[in-house]
Amino acid sequence: MKLTDKHLTRRGLLKAGAATSLVLAAPLHFVRGAWAQEKAIGTFPAGTSGSSVKYGFIVPQTGAYADEGADELRAYQLAVKHLNGGGGMLETMKPLSLKGNGVLGKKVEYVTGDTQTNPDAARQAAQRAIERDKVIMFSGGSSSAVAVAQQYLAQDKGVIFMDALTHSNDTTGKDRRRYGFRHFFNAYQSGIALGPILAERYGKDRRAFHLTADYTWGHTQYESIRDATEKQGWTTVNNIMTPLGAPDFSQYLTAAINSDADVLILNHYGKDMVNSLTQAVQFGMRDMQKNGRNIEVVVPLYSELMAKGAGDNIAGVLGTANFNEKLDDPGSAAFIKAFTDEYGFPPSQAAQTAYVQTLLYSNAVEQAGTFYPPEVIKALEGAEIEGIGPGKALYRAEDHQCFHDILVVEGKAPSDRQNQYDLLKIVKQVPREEVTYPADIPAFGGKDAQLGAYEPSA
Amino acid sequence: MTINSIFLMVLTGLQLGAIYALIALGLTLIFGTLGVVNFAHGALYLIAAYCAVFAAQSLGFGLAIVLVPIILFIFGIAMERGLIRFFYQRPHTDQILVTFGIAIVVEEVLKWMFGANNIPFALPSWGAGQVLFYGLGANVPAAIPGIRVPMPFLEGFAFFPAWRLLLIIVTAVTIFALFALLQFTRFGLVLRAGMRDPEMLRFLGVNVTIRFSILFGIGAMIAGIAGVFGGPVTQVSPTVGMALLVPSFLVVVIGGMGSMLGALVAALLLGMASSFTTGFAAAVGDPTAKMALTALQQIVVYLVAVVVLLIRPRGLFGKKGIFE
Repeated sequence: MKLTDKHLTRRGLLKAGAATSLVLAAPLHFVRGAWAQEKAIGTFPAGTSGSSVKYGFIVPQTGAYADEGADELRAYQLAVKHLNGGGGMLETMKPLSLKGNGVLGKKVEYVTGDTQTNPDAARQAAQRAIERDKVIMFSGGSSSAVAVAQQYLAQDKGVIFMDALTHSNDTTGKDRRRYGFRHFFNAYQSGIALGPILAERYGKDRRAFHLTADYTWGHTQYESIRDATEKQGWTTVNNIMTPLGAPDFSQYLTAAINSDADVLILNHYGKDMVNSLTQAVQFGMRDMQKNGRNIEVVVPLYSELMAKGAGDNIAGVLGTANFNEKLDDPGSAAFIKAFTDEYGFPPSQAAQTAYVQTLLYSNAVEQAGTFYPPEVIKALEGAEIEGIGPGKALYRAEDHQCFHDILVVEGKAPSDRQNQYDLLKIVKQVPREEVTYPADIPAFGGKDAQLGAYEPSA
Repeated sequence: MTINSIFLMVLTGLQLGAIYALIALGLTLIFGTLGVVNFAHGALYLIAAYCAVFAAQSLGFGLAIVLVPIILFIFGIAMERGLIRFFYQRPHTDQILVTFGIAIVVEEVLKWMFGANNIPFALPSWGAGQVLFYGLGANVPAAIPGIRVPMPFLEGFAFFPAWRLLLIIVTAVTIFALFALLQFTRFGLVLRAGMRDPEMLRFLGVNVTIRFSILFGIGAMIAGIAGVFGGPVTQVSPTVGMALLVPSFLVVVIGGMGSMLGALVAALLLGMASSFTTGFAAAVGDPTAKMALTALQQIVVYLVAVVVLLIRPRGLFGKKGIFE
């Protein structure tokens, strides 16, 4: 075929243009009832025709975040148990459409997959769950690189993805997708919450040295904390990107010691954070003085599992968290009790977000009265829900970020701990209003960030 | 950049190099003598580090230092007798496959038993704290605890973690002891002869097999030493073995397969390269230069490898005919 054959003629272009504008002009409302025919999208209706539906829980079972993945899976199993038989947050959630008899009368089953903490493996596992098992929704992940990859897959396939652990701004920023929803908080919110407390504790004229994990999460975490602390009057002396999984951080710590910075900010997660914090303590940074003041160490994103790994070194170190097992609002209390009864130890924040996400999706289905994805998405968009954590949570329609109170936490000294799980104390519960920001700010992709279509083109 | 920062960067480079050297030493020893590419060497480090954590918690750190290398020595012999010896006559690719397989099994078993996250490995109280180096006429406040070492060229004073200095010393002693064993003892003499011509030695009635087995045990023992002294630095998690194996293998290749001196020089080279590019990246003021150096510090180890292998394809001290 000659190349010119492919070119559009002027007439062809006009025809195509006319057709497109006709399609665009047609009323594209998906208001329930008004749209009589629900088209086949993704695994709908094939995945919902039987007496049961399947969810896909794709979590890291191997790789660096396997412990987080294991805790997510426990929470998912608990959520399925409660969906089918009642209990847990089903007793506190408002407005509640779920009845504890499955979802829309169908028993909930699940399949699991392994992300290996690797975006490619995660996509393959999710694809298998969608194509082979016909899952109607999938959830999981413990890395923003994985979450972003899954969201794009969800949009392509027309199957809703409920993010679990992902803290990068990009997830609901430049990479936000119509078929992806995030309940977990993000790096920008960590900055808003942490900035004022850092200034209050350590003063307004501090000089910060950042070490940052070199991938999507680390980059947005660094930018968010840098902006938040500079707003408080701090100076950013330096930032060095460190490769993921580095066993030894001594060259970076030496660089920090050689600078005139008096605060070390570790934009690391998981093992990297445990290593860099432990080694900073070995380098004597917690006992050292610079500019006439004690050097302070800050870990913007904390998790219970990391705190456990870092042992005594977390004492007095500030950071933020999405959830803590000491929260006593009715929703958190019901979840913590159910989880502890089932497994014998309290849930991590990874477990909490996984559990809540499963319930939120299921409740939206029940409320919409259908598994048809565009309807479920609409039910989630703008939903305001109580009893799933402190205060009221809002799933913002513009970017699919869930807004709720978040926590500033501090590592406990070994002498203050009641038991082996008592590692963090809540310094402040930051209200939802304070950590809400406009959906189109530059840190979240600006005005160009789009969710995409309700109906995937495929 | 002050003389103090450069001094600290040199120490950091030495310490980074020390861990690479300790692991590379065992690798290159086993390759140089037995001709086996042991990709399970990182796994041996891993086993050592986990043993060390639990030995240190239950028996104290002092005993862990004695026990763990012995455990690894025995483990090494068992591994050689049980598996590796069947691969002496097989191609290097087979050896790599089987040892890499062992590495994966060990990693996953440890993950299954102890979880994927780090296990805290605290320093013993006698090894914690900083060593203070002070220059001529420095006014060191009496309140600062710890060991003090005069360093006339420094301005004022500088600190470096005591444990990391100990790691450098332990590495130096281990290298020297190994060198002495191979060079000045009858055991070493027989081994070196065995490397040249094992068949002839057998004709002469020397039991080469048992000596090869012991040698493999010694290689594992060095991984044991690395695990006890390196564990508190790198921390203990199932992935740390593989994370260290890659640069250590690079050290062996850059130094020249099987060359012990080469491994030592290459380890120092990589350690210094990491330390100085990071140091310069932090110190430089110009934004473009900073960006370039920040990117460079992440890949400098591999860049050194590329440059060295382009100029000397057999590595710094590689001999003709080995691994070709």
